[in-house]
Amino acid sequence: MSDAALLTLTIFTPTIFAVLLMAFDKKAEEGMRVFTLIGTVVTFLLSLMMWQRFNMEEAGYQMQVVCNWIPTWNIEYRLGVDGISLPLVLLTGLVTMLAAVASWSIKEKIRGYLILFLMLETGMMGVFLSLDFFLFYVFWEVMLLPMYFLIGVWGGPRREYAAMKFFLYTLVGSVLMLIAILMFYFNSSQILDGKGIFSLIKLAEIAKSGQFNQNMQLIAFILLFIGFAIKVPCFPFHTWLPDAHVEAPTPISMILAGVLLKMGGYGIIRIAMPLCPWAAQYAAWFLVVLGVFSIIYGAFAAMAQTDFKRLVAYSSVSHMGYVLVGLAVWKINEAGQTVNPDLWLMGMQGAMYQMLGHGISSAGMFFMVGVIYDRVHHRDLNKFGGLMQKMPLYSGIAVGIFFAGLGLPGLCGFIGEVFVVLSIWQFSKTLAVIAAAGVILTAGYILWTIQRVFFGPEYKGPHGEDLSEMNGRESGVAVTLLVLAIIFGVLPSIMLDVMNPSTVALTKSLSEGYSNSAGSQPAAVSTPQVSLTK
Amino acid sequence: MDSVGLNHYLFVGAVLFVCGIVCMATKRNAIGVLMGVELVLNGANINFVALSRYTPLGLDGQVSSMFVIVLAAAEAAVALAIALNFYNNHLSIDVDRADDLRG
Amino acid sequence: MTPNVYTATSTTLKWLLGTAWLLPLAGFVIEIFGGYWGGRKTKTAAWIAVGCIATSFVLSLSALLVWRGATAEIREKQATALAEHDAAHGHGHGGEHGHGEHAHAASDHAHGAADHSHAHTNHVHTDHADFNPLRTTFTGEFYRLARFGSVVVSMDYYIDGLTVLMFTMVTLIATCIHVFATGYMAEELTEHYEDHQVHLSGGRHFHRPGRFYRFFAFLSLFCFAMLGLVLAGNVFQVFIFWELVGVCSFFLIGFYVERKSASTAANKAFIMNRVGDFGFLIGLMVVLTYFGTFQFANTSPDEIGSPGLFQMVRDTHGHMVTEGDGREKVVLLQSGGNTPLHSQDGKQRVIPYWLLIVAGLGVFAGCVGKSAQFPLQTWLPDAMEGPTPVSALVHSATMVAAGVYLVGRFYPMFTPEVLLTIAYVGAITAFIGATIAIVVTDIKRVLAYSTISQLGYMMLALGVGGWMAGLFHLITHAFFKSLMFLCSGSVIYGCHHEQDMTKMGGLRKKMPITAYTMLIGVFAIAGYGLPGLPINFSGFYSKDAIIASALTYVSLNPQHFLLFYIPVVTAGITAFYMFRMWFMTFAGTPRDHHVDEHAHESPLPMVAPLCLLAFLAWFCAFRGEDGGLAHQILSSEPTHVRDGLEHGGILGLSLPSHHQIHEKHATAGWVALFAAGLGSLISYLFYCRRTLDAGTIGRQFWVIRDFLIEKWRFDELYDVMFTRPVHVIGAWCQGFDKRVLDGLIHLASHLTLQTAKFDRAVDERLVDRIVNICGEVTYATGRSLKGIQTGRLRQYVMFIALGVVSLFVLVFAFLPRS
Repeated sequence: MSDAALLTLTIFTPTIFAVLLMAFDKKAEEGMRVFTLIGTVVTFLLSLMMWQRFNMEEAGYQMQVVCNWIPTWNIEYRLGVDGISLPLVLLTGLVTMLAAVASWSIKEKIRGYLILFLMLETGMMGVFLSLDFFLFYVFWEVMLLPMYFLIGVWGGPRREYAAMKFFLYTLVGSVLMLIAILMFYFNSSQILDGKGIFSLIKLAEIAKSGQFNQNMQLIAFILLFIGFAIKVPCFPFHTWLPDAHVEAPTPISMILAGVLLKMGGYGIIRIAMPLCPWAAQYAAWFLVVLGVFSIIYGAFAAMAQTDFKRLVAYSSVSHMGYVLVGLAVWKINEAGQTVNPDLWLMGMQGAMYQMLGHGISSAGMFFMVGVIYDRVHHRDLNKFGGLMQKMPLYSGIAVGIFFAGLGLPGLCGFIGEVFVVLSIWQFSKTLAVIAAAGVILTAGYILWTIQRVFFGPEYKGPHGEDLSEMNGRESGVAVTLLVLAIIFGVLPSIMLDVMNPSTVALTKSLSEGYSNSAGSQPAAVSTPQVSLTK
Repeated sequence: MDSVGLNHYLFVGAVLFVCGIVCMATKRNAIGVLMGVELVLNGANINFVALSRYTPLGLDGQVSSMFVIVLAAAEAAVALAIALNFYNNHLSIDVDRADDLRG
Repeated sequence: MTPNVYTATSTTLKWLLGTAWLLPLAGFVIEIFGGYWGGRKTKTAAWIAVGCIATSFVLSLSALLVWRGATAEIREKQATALAEHDAAHGHGHGGEHGHGEHAHAASDHAHGAADHSHAHTNHVHTDHADFNPLRTTFTGEFYRLARFGSVVVSMDYYIDGLTVLMFTMVTLIATCIHVFATGYMAEELTEHYEDHQVHLSGGRHFHRPGRFYRFFAFLSLFCFAMLGLVLAGNVFQVFIFWELVGVCSFFLIGFYVERKSASTAANKAFIMNRVGDFGFLIGLMVVLTYFGTFQFANTSPDEIGSPGLFQMVRDTHGHMVTEGDGREKVVLLQSGGNTPLHSQDGKQRVIPYWLLIVAGLGVFAGCVGKSAQFPLQTWLPDAMEGPTPVSALVHSATMVAAGVYLVGRFYPMFTPEVLLTIAYVGAITAFIGATIAIVVTDIKRVLAYSTISQLGYMMLALGVGGWMAGLFHLITHAFFKSLMFLCSGSVIYGCHHEQDMTKMGGLRKKMPITAYTMLIGVFAIAGYGLPGLPINFSGFYSKDAIIASALTYVSLNPQHFLLFYIPVVTAGITAFYMFRMWFMTFAGTPRDHHVDEHAHESPLPMVAPLCLLAFLAWFCAFRGEDGGLAHQILSSEPTHVRDGLEHGGILGLSLPSHHQIHEKHATAGWVALFAAGLGSLISYLFYCRRTLDAGTIGRQFWVIRDFLIEKWRFDELYDVMFTRPVHVIGAWCQGFDKRVLDGLIHLASHLTLQTAKFDRAVDERLVDRIVNICGEVTYATGRSLKGIQTGRLRQYVMFIALGVVSLFVLVFAFLPRS
């Protein structure tokens, strides 16, 4: 298979399967589920094949596909993969596959559900693989719509509210992104004598050479950042998340937490920062403050929840704060050179690893909540207890996954979290101390949850008689996630090695881009630079 | 006394015209009104013919008057038909009773 | 040592200790899976666990021997040099050797301007390089976790005399405790275990299947984590296993998950440890930011690796090279030899002195949490909710000692200011723990408070510069305290889970072995022995060493006199409450006949470990500081400790040298012995002879008694200071989300709706209205004009006529006549 076919198929295999689903008889629900599962497995295998072909020594984009799409506007069908996107592609394939297994719990309008589910995967894969800004935007929107319907139709009692909230929030983000896209198009057309471009690679090269002026960078960065921050989500754009999670069905929650949130982080690292290096440095302080605040705020808010799913949702807010912090711990000295680039690299890789680790642990946590919800149909934390007796296997695995969320060494949550936290000190001592305090709060709410749900002598809520041990399908998903959490916790180098060359190259080109942009207008730089980095 | 000139003709035309108008305004009989109309038209005809004689209009005025004569004949035919129909409906030709088109 | 020998030994030790470390993990996996699918009535899990840990012990012991064999030559050289050195010292003590002869002054420091703030000890250190413990240390890497540019984070090993000793100690005690637990936990070998402490809603007792296998699985996992902590070759790795032992402790404390008290205690332990880890993380950040590595040291002879922390912060003579004063003071980093370390752009790499203090305090904060030091000591007594073998292994001998171990391990990084903090924290802890232990009546809690107090002792010792004393006490304490915990376990087992000492008494007749092994433990912890005698209770030597260090420290720094008086008083109190416990439990007459009737001596698997541990508790410190144990510890003593320090750091603190401590040794020994004797005597009068009535005294001093019974009210304080505020802030955040953020969103949507409504209103009321008005006006005009059309022919004619006339009139009136 050629590289072009591999990447294209990875994106569109789910679409093909979605189309073929139409051919099924309405009553063949089991068949359709299995068929969907096969579709996601094939996609996952294709992404694994991509990993196998991937050259880990090389920093740039690999397996690029370039075709003209709309030549008038220089819009291309351009795909490619590098060390930053590959781990997320793998994560998408994996989480979607597991979510497909978890979809057996969906009983109504199954065909529509499965078609939307597969379309969603196409959108997600497309976002991570596209290297054309316009194409990226298209996939971004493609992902948005199925999600809206999946929450709005198959969700819980307040699904319309949640779906609308999700949709509006994300739409605001994507509209801002669209403005930024056009800004880049027209600016590049000025720079390149009337030939505007959407190619992210070329735009990043222009940015690296410092040809986008500072005002333009700043405005574009703000637009892009808000767009992506909504998706991350970081304070104060996070309130859609708890509602969406609470109302979404279990498999959709898994995808939402496991993959969709990562698009925000991915957008920042792939688009916002490389295209606006000067602005990224200018705003670094703000980003770190926002991230640290999200960490603490999410943890505190999680502490106050009584709804199990809401608690996990807030823990996502807290954990994704680390991503933001890790990306932005970029400190420069008076001369505009990056200080301690190794530690920034550490923060950046820590942030990316945090995305992976959170993808696994949060998907696992939502799945675990879903399992118990399917049995007793409530999520009130104060009405659980004693599950360790009734469902020992479930409780054992769930405790393991929750500890992964807590950031216990040896499990996936630890690596990202600790590397990010360690990298903050060189950026700001105060913020480092505050961020480190997050570990106490995290331990607090997770342990308290474990105590309330799994420990204790007896189950206190309704439907106690339905508490049966997990079935084979459920244990399969749970065990897979736990095993991955352990592997990712013990051998982080399997993914860090993939990321390393690309992130090294990225930090270098960002530093260069910064000094080039700053050099073009030295007078304007000096004042904010001093006030921001002190 | 001067010979008969344009002003005399115009005077006669004006008298005819005024007579016609008065006739139309005062007669309640539809035939009378019709006759008033004829008088007005003929007053106008005299003016046309006179003006074509004394001004450089030439035959234009006479042609116009010929048109008026033909038109008056047609009009008389139509008007008499209306009057007859009116009589058939109302057993009268008193135009004051013909107020069906009142707003 | 030649590079070849080094590599060979290093590999051998790596495999021996690595296997010893990983065996319990394998055990854990087998036990947890085998137990889940296997039966509940078999002891297989226990034997697997015992087999794993016993094999680990054998491997550790061989590692100890291998290490001793490989380093014998070097250590011998060092010992000879030492002897000569001491001789020279004795000779030169009168002042014949002036400061100018200091070897380091002649040594080749690139920075002439460097102010060598270490200082002017009374020693001649010509042969300093010979005392470097790094020469007998083997370091290397298991595998790499991550690499960020030049920063490498990996799983390393760091094997020196202390590591192998700790391995042997941990595995030995763990083996004893595993064997003990096979008997103690036998009640769990059932399908229907009835828990009398848990009451269900219907008033019934709680029934559950036994959890024998789970207990041993977690015990194995704990051993794995603990050994990993000891083996760790970098401080990040220590942090990893630090957390892992914490989580094992969490599971073991909360072993009876259905008991609310147990799960709460487990949470408390974990969260308080995390508070300490918060400090630890800050320490790690500083270390990483300024040193760029986590490795303790890199002793590999092939010169490829970069220097480790210890090599950077001190030169081979053990001196910190500093520059500047006050807040400007910086420590110049070394490159492993006596040459300064440069960064890539050729600048001297430095770390601000105050940040080095922060790093030290941060790492020490982790130790405070783990070793239950003031102010984080309150979790340890609650941790007694776990089964007794857990208390013996995790909460007395190994995990809680890990904090002390780390302070010892990280010692080269600590500045005198940090050491002073450590000393004070240790002293306060020792005193608090001991005082509370006086009034506690739960036999396990007495031991728990005693553990806190003794750990404080060790910290104190390390803080006052008695590096060897602290770690010496760590080892001896591990033996006698685990012995006492196991004895208490035996008592509890014999009395059917009765832990209240006020219901016991006279048990020595029913359980003689337990009683007399316990008595050995009590003598050991009280520190009985005769100075000069080669065979004394192990506690005597170690406590003696601590008091001697403290006395020397105070004599050098008189303003910190409390650091001597508190440990002496505490030594007395320790003897008092320990004898109180023994008298209340084993002496006198039974107080509760129900308990007494059922009491019986424990079976062989439980008694045998008691005897072995009692033997070790008595004799492990054979010949005291001249004995094998002390020498083994001394072999890894950081270079700078031996010579002490005079007016170092910012505060001008002095640290005692070995020689100075040695001079005070005799005095200190007698003082400690006197204090212990006095304590025991009072205890004897109170609880054995009953000449004095404890109850009466307690009533008279009820304020103090209640204060002590309420554990100095720390729990209440923390509840008010931390727990509740956290919940309140949590609720605020939640409210902020609901009210403010969601409020804003709702407000926005509301505003949008309102705008839409307004739009509709404008359309309906304004735009439509204008159109309608136009229509209406037109209509009205038409209507009003309709009267004109009368239908009367003659009238029309009149109108026409009058109209024409008026038109003419108008034309003539207004048209200009030209």
